[in-house]
Amino acid sequence: MASHGVPRVSGTATTDKSAAARGEEQKQIAEYKALEKNVIDRIKAKDFSNHTFQATSRLLQQNPEYHTIWNYRRILLQDVFRRELASGNSAVITTQADEAQNGDAQAAFKAGLTLAQQEISLLLSEDLAFLIPLLKQYPKCYWIWNHRAWLLAEATELLPARTASQMWRGELALGSKMLVLDSRNFHAWSYRRSTVEQIEQLEKKSLAEDEFAYTTKMVNTNLSNFSAWHNRGQLLPRLSQERQATDEERKTMFDAELELITRALYTDPYDQSLWFYHQYLMSTLVAASSNDANDDARRTNILAAPISHATTTAYLEQEIASIEDMLDGAEDCKYIYQALLEYSQRLHQLAKGSSDIVEASKMASWLDEVRKLDLLREGRWLDLAVSLKP
Amino acid sequence: METLDGTEWDVVIVGTDLPQSLLALSLSRSGKRVLHIDRNEYYGGNEAALSLSEAEAWAARYAGHSNASENATFSNARIETLEATGDVKLLQSRAYSLALAPQIIYTQSKLLPALVSSRTHGQLEFQAVGSWFVLQPGGDAASAPSLIRVPSGREDIFQDQSFDLRAKRSLMKFLRFVGNYEEQPDIWQGEAERPFPDFLQQKFALPQPLHAALLSLTLALTPPAETSTADALPRIARHLRSIGLFGPGFGAVIPKWGGLAEIAQVACRAGAVGGAVYVLNKGIDHIDNTGNDTFRLKLSGGEQVETHWLVGSAENLLAKALTPPHAGPGLTKSISIIAARLPKLFPVTAEGGVTPAGAVIAVPASTADEPPVYIMAHSADAGECPSTQCVIYASVALPFDEGQARLSAAVAALLASGDGEMVSAPLWTIQYYQHDLGETAKALNPHCLVLPPLSLDNALADHVLENVKQAWRQITGEEDASFLRFEVREGMED
Repeated sequence: MASHGVPRVSGTATTDKSAAARGEEQKQIAEYKALEKNVIDRIKAKDFSNHTFQATSRLLQQNPEYHTIWNYRRILLQDVFRRELASGNSAVITTQADEAQNGDAQAAFKAGLTLAQQEISLLLSEDLAFLIPLLKQYPKCYWIWNHRAWLLAEATELLPARTASQMWRGELALGSKMLVLDSRNFHAWSYRRSTVEQIEQLEKKSLAEDEFAYTTKMVNTNLSNFSAWHNRGQLLPRLSQERQATDEERKTMFDAELELITRALYTDPYDQSLWFYHQYLMSTLVAASSNDANDDARRTNILAAPISHATTTAYLEQEIASIEDMLDGAEDCKYIYQALLEYSQRLHQLAKGSSDIVEASKMASWLDEVRKLDLLREGRWLDLAVSLKP
Repeated sequence: METLDGTEWDVVIVGTDLPQSLLALSLSRSGKRVLHIDRNEYYGGNEAALSLSEAEAWAARYAGHSNASENATFSNARIETLEATGDVKLLQSRAYSLALAPQIIYTQSKLLPALVSSRTHGQLEFQAVGSWFVLQPGGDAASAPSLIRVPSGREDIFQDQSFDLRAKRSLMKFLRFVGNYEEQPDIWQGEAERPFPDFLQQKFALPQPLHAALLSLTLALTPPAETSTADALPRIARHLRSIGLFGPGFGAVIPKWGGLAEIAQVACRAGAVGGAVYVLNKGIDHIDNTGNDTFRLKLSGGEQVETHWLVGSAENLLAKALTPPHAGPGLTKSISIIAARLPKLFPVTAEGGVTPAGAVIAVPASTADEPPVYIMAHSADAGECPSTQCVIYASVALPFDEGQARLSAAVAALLASGDGEMVSAPLWTIQYYQHDLGETAKALNPHCLVLPPLSLDNALADHVLENVKQAWRQITGEEDASFLRFEVREGMED
């Protein structure tokens, strides 16, 4: 990924050491410091005017990392919101005469908002728009995203659900665009999840199906997307709940996911993100013993609870055989051996005494191979060798 | 200026083909007095884009069966027009801009950064070449041929349901190898001269059906049995390394409005802004070398001019000044206008990606000893035809008589493969033969520089830029680092 691991360089940094460049730089520093002093003095004097607001804009455009100024900006906005709501413009416009008053009133009426809410909505939209060019220049600045989240939270609090939800939907679209540019940015995925959550609350409906389809699209574009697989895994149990899937349907879903990830692994067993997803699927096969545990399991499992030992054993055996097949042509892939060892151990724990366990000689040979391939973790493999000895 | 007669120049460039035009661009800030002439009444020379009526005139000119007398690049040109039925017909001539040079440009090509650094890229619009296909004949005589998408990377392989798991694994292994094949000589250098399909079978256990797909990525003009591993590997590497450079899902681009002609035009425009004088309908009738590194030229209107440097191609500098060029095997080519949009050829290839305007379709021959036909499909978005139509460019490395039959069959098969969209025949087709005048022509005088023509490859080769750089270096004597590196002109936006 071209944008990962690249150090951030200030847009105005210069390596030119000439006297003219230094003079120019000193001038810029002086201007900046004057601007900073202006903003801080005004805030201290409780000058919450538009002039101060514009000054914070100028300062933040030069230095969006200056989080104190973002805080000041929010204080200013909160003050404006408070005054709007207190001004008595809270009546919903209903009469023709009122409508004719001014364009703002008309717009407010059309949107089903009070005049105050209309004002607040405009201010929020303007501030969101103000952030876009900043985002283009500094896409990874936490404070910008923070401010966005705050603006949208204000929308949820102060505006009717329908209006707020529209703004959040816009945010989802922005998030999707960012993920096209950098599909593996886990911050973006995390932000996406909180955005989706807000929309679900405001619109009182689940977006799980849409989001599931989205993860399918994203892994189809790039298999190696840890975040997309992670998101998918988070959604699966919810999906089974929401679809009110029968036991049969749950099994079909689980098998389909196993088939998908097996196909991906055959294509590229060297990709760690795929193994993580496989491990996740296998980890949902938790055999529960008590009724309470069943309910918890229902929330995180895909397969219908209770999951018997027999079921888990069957899946483990199936996957061990399938992964063993993958060795053909990929004998130098350490992940395959690691997976084989892990699942074999799990099978041993379940089997405890019964005869369907993996032969010790096989496990020993896998251990030998992985020790050759994974020299960094020599100690770990040594420990495992010792614990495997009968 | 009133007349060219009696004028003196530092450089006279003959022909506005792409190499000469790039040279004009490279000299556009040098302060040299440049005269750039072209015998045609249009820019672009052998890389020109033609309207319908221009194409008709062009075909009449190159209709002859051999090029021997004129030393021309083209011959055997002929046009076939379908009877108009109802609404399905050709539009007016200027609605078309048919490219004689529809080559794709790989994103890792050196030409693209050179266009950026020379400040000309802003005047050009590039569009993505998205999908690669192989056209296979139907299972029996009755069934339609099928268009199979060629996987260009891991995700394509993952999604493709037609490969079994084993085949997916082998294909991935091969792609991973190609990614840095230069560092694994032990795997392939022993097989360097062997046919590529054999190498695939033996070293990677790739079954025969996958050979056509991988060969299509090479764009090699030779028959599969004659395409060596040493030829194929760098070509596939070029393809794979270009994917994703400019955006997800594609690895090559085409210039909008008529292929490489557009780049030639923009380059000439830059030359003119830099002070060069442009005259069309003007060729050279006679070259006189006075011996003191000055040439006296007699132009086609009788004008006498003097110049220190004379640059052109083997074709348009008179035979007297040069040793005769070596003619290699050429290409039979065709351009067809189709009365349909053929959207199946231009799907968006990645989530959030661009809609491509170009597609490549390889049509293998029935035996491994015959060369494949390559089809470059351009949608209406490429700006070469009206919005309800598209343009199909086809080529095959065969003499004209054999070649034109193969091309007609390939285009017909492509049209038959679309299910639902019944398109029986092209509205209009031109077929012609392009000779390979080769690079070996050398001027007898060191101040007469011959720029080799573009290779017949379907992808633009980097040596075009190298040749121009050499000529530029000789004329200006400047350091390589300043080649095609310009500042933005005052008052003009980048």
